[in-house]
Amino acid sequence: MGTTSKFDVVIVGAGPAGCSSAYLLARAGLRVLLVERGRSAGSKLLWGGKAYAQPIREVWPELDKEAPIHRWVTRERFSFVWGDRILTVEYKLGRSVAFTSYLPELVSWMARKAESAGALLVEDVRVDEIVVKDGRVVGVRSGDDVVRADVVIDAEGVNRMLLEKLGLAEKLDVNSGVALGVKETLSLDSKLIEERFNLDKGEGLSWLVAGDITRGLPGGGFIYTMRDSISIGLVIPIGPAAKAAEEGILKEHVSSLVESFRLHPYFNRLWREADVIEYGGRMTIEGGLSMMPRRLYAPGLLVVGDAAGFLVNTGYTIRGVDTAVYSGKLAAETVIEALSRGGFTEDNLKAYEDKVRRSYIYRELRNHSGVEDIMKDPFYFTKLPQVVVGAAGRLFEADYEEPTLIRSVVEASRDAGISLVRAFFKLARVVRRL
Amino acid sequence: MSSTGVKLKRLKLGDLLQRDVWDVDEARHIEVLDQRGLPIKALLLLCPMGCYTMAGERLLMSYEGCVECATCRVLSNPHQIRWEYPRSGRGIQYRFT
Amino acid sequence: MRVVVGIKWVPNTQAVRFDPETGTLIRRGVPSIVNPHDLPAVELSLRLRDEVGGEVIAIAMAPPPASKGLEFVLGMGVDRAILITDRVYAGADTLATSYVLARAIQKINAEIGDVDLVVFGQETIDSSTAHIPAQVASWLELPYIYYVKEATVVGNGRVRVVRELENYLEEYELELPAVLGVAIRALKPRPVSLSMKLRTKFEKRLITWTNNDLKLDPRCTGLKGSPTIVAKTIDMPEVPRRREVFKARDAREAAKWIVAKMLADEKTRELLYRSLWGGRG
Repeated sequence: MGTTSKFDVVIVGAGPAGCSSAYLLARAGLRVLLVERGRSAGSKLLWGGKAYAQPIREVWPELDKEAPIHRWVTRERFSFVWGDRILTVEYKLGRSVAFTSYLPELVSWMARKAESAGALLVEDVRVDEIVVKDGRVVGVRSGDDVVRADVVIDAEGVNRMLLEKLGLAEKLDVNSGVALGVKETLSLDSKLIEERFNLDKGEGLSWLVAGDITRGLPGGGFIYTMRDSISIGLVIPIGPAAKAAEEGILKEHVSSLVESFRLHPYFNRLWREADVIEYGGRMTIEGGLSMMPRRLYAPGLLVVGDAAGFLVNTGYTIRGVDTAVYSGKLAAETVIEALSRGGFTEDNLKAYEDKVRRSYIYRELRNHSGVEDIMKDPFYFTKLPQVVVGAAGRLFEADYEEPTLIRSVVEASRDAGISLVRAFFKLARVVRRL
Repeated sequence: MSSTGVKLKRLKLGDLLQRDVWDVDEARHIEVLDQRGLPIKALLLLCPMGCYTMAGERLLMSYEGCVECATCRVLSNPHQIRWEYPRSGRGIQYRFT
Repeated sequence: MRVVVGIKWVPNTQAVRFDPETGTLIRRGVPSIVNPHDLPAVELSLRLRDEVGGEVIAIAMAPPPASKGLEFVLGMGVDRAILITDRVYAGADTLATSYVLARAIQKINAEIGDVDLVVFGQETIDSSTAHIPAQVASWLELPYIYYVKEATVVGNGRVRVVRELENYLEEYELELPAVLGVAIRALKPRPVSLSMKLRTKFEKRLITWTNNDLKLDPRCTGLKGSPTIVAKTIDMPEVPRRREVFKARDAREAAKWIVAKMLADEKTRELLYRSLWGGRG
């Protein structure tokens, strides 16, 4: 064996980023090979459930009409939970900018679009190595087979083993800024979902939850409404969670935390008839610039999507699919422009990094950088919910007279064991970052 | 308090695992090579599928229920745990996520 | 050497779950796979071809989505694949299925070239009858060996076959053509390879035969050609397991503990004695 073939572009990973590049490049007439390790594009993907539409429409204007969209998000909720006290804020959107879907379905749609544009999609095949010759990426290897390409686009995802092998990324470890997402999909009749979450037909809700549902660990919970199911889960930074486990502070298995979330008396009434139809976990990026490799290109190589660290976490929204799609688009544009400018020289590929740095992806990552560290500060995932919920309790649970707002905050801070001044400065720090 | 039917019973990890679909590869793709220095408690509690268990003093890894999340890869180095993706599209097959 | 290997596209039965509340099977979103017990058969066929040259042809009688399964084995290195699909084949039991497969193999023999060996997996995960290889052999009037663990070509149109029985191995040498049923987990299937997948993409290696090609009497195929009647299905109740964990210092201590446990329970003791000494307790 060891057959060699030659393509203009080989893309590793048929996720949102890889499919976007494949689609645009194939449409421009290039010979594109898209290699996916899963049985079908999307079968290895797990996510929370919400994607921002506009950047995706830039690649696929037909998104709204054709894509397997479950619900258009019209309500955003955020809750602080402490014991049986919960403070929830809800915003009813004037116009929906994001939708929910099953990612395997959405990506499978993207892959079909790429295929019909002429990209060659090969599933069931794991790429073992990005092949370098004379300081230049020349193709990919899978088992004994090598396929050559003028450019390789690395869209391998967050667990970027290929980039590590190339020496372009450090080995992932507990300090890398990665988190574990664990989730359950709960089946529930679509009418019940609309009733329970106060939604019109086809409308969806996105809900982030902070507080003691993580048992004192950093991170938080999410709830997304799908067409006839609900996605719930937790995202927990791996480093602090491992430390807590080793020190004996975390005593339960993560699945038990998710089960407690599902069975939480305040939340479970929303889905009490629901059956758990899927359970799983996946690594994700905490957010910010920390997972961005020093370089997004090398001779013959571009890095897109999660592999490039493009996940934005602002603390109140998390977006990774649209940034993946958009980075796939920027990579495709770079390749097409490089062709017309005399080939894939380092300079011509560097244009990709410039495009990224000028794009909303980089601005978002930079503007919200540091949020991931803030989120790991115990103040924000234990003290802050305690203060907020405690203050609300003082205001709303008064039998005769409620204290003033400021007094209730002062008292709640004292109960949580922090000084008001410190709390104020911490808050100011986070607000500046959001 | 809310009503508690069968659906509101706490599910053990084993019950949760039954909700998923795998096409299990004959070849093992993750293997503990040397457990010395591994954060064992973290592996036991954080592997979302509970693939890591103890047999006496020995750390066992059952790759059959793995979802390829790579948490254990993050918690180890290559001479402690050999970590690869399964081949031929095998392993976890996510559907409703 | 021309090897025909039969595969079945089956629901991944591991994914079928029982809903204790409604008493029904939950089949929503259950993906199909190539019957796992067919993969050792594919591997055995490929090894024979790699050894002496020739080609491996995979066949499947199934609705069109099964082409995905044929593409999978093409990715493993099968040279070509034939999807046998027609509405008149739907609802077939093993008799009607084996009839269609046998006629398809005869068509391969007549039009593509002499078939030297027909290989099947031992059984399927969704019905576990193990009928098909025996029935195909019967239709084709060919010798049939099952529980095959390995096969090697020994020249002069003969193969040496090792079959694995519970306590011993049997070795046969048989004249070709013949039909083999490959034992479950006899061989580790090779992974899908990039070059084979690409070959499949570039060259048309998957063809479809309908009843226009096979021209079989519809009374002998599909539901009409199936004498099997499913009289009743009974869901087996889940057996509650009493799990115990025993932490032993070593294997000897663990073994002692297990034996003691088995002897303590009357039913288990009886079963244990019966399997060891044929029932004398």
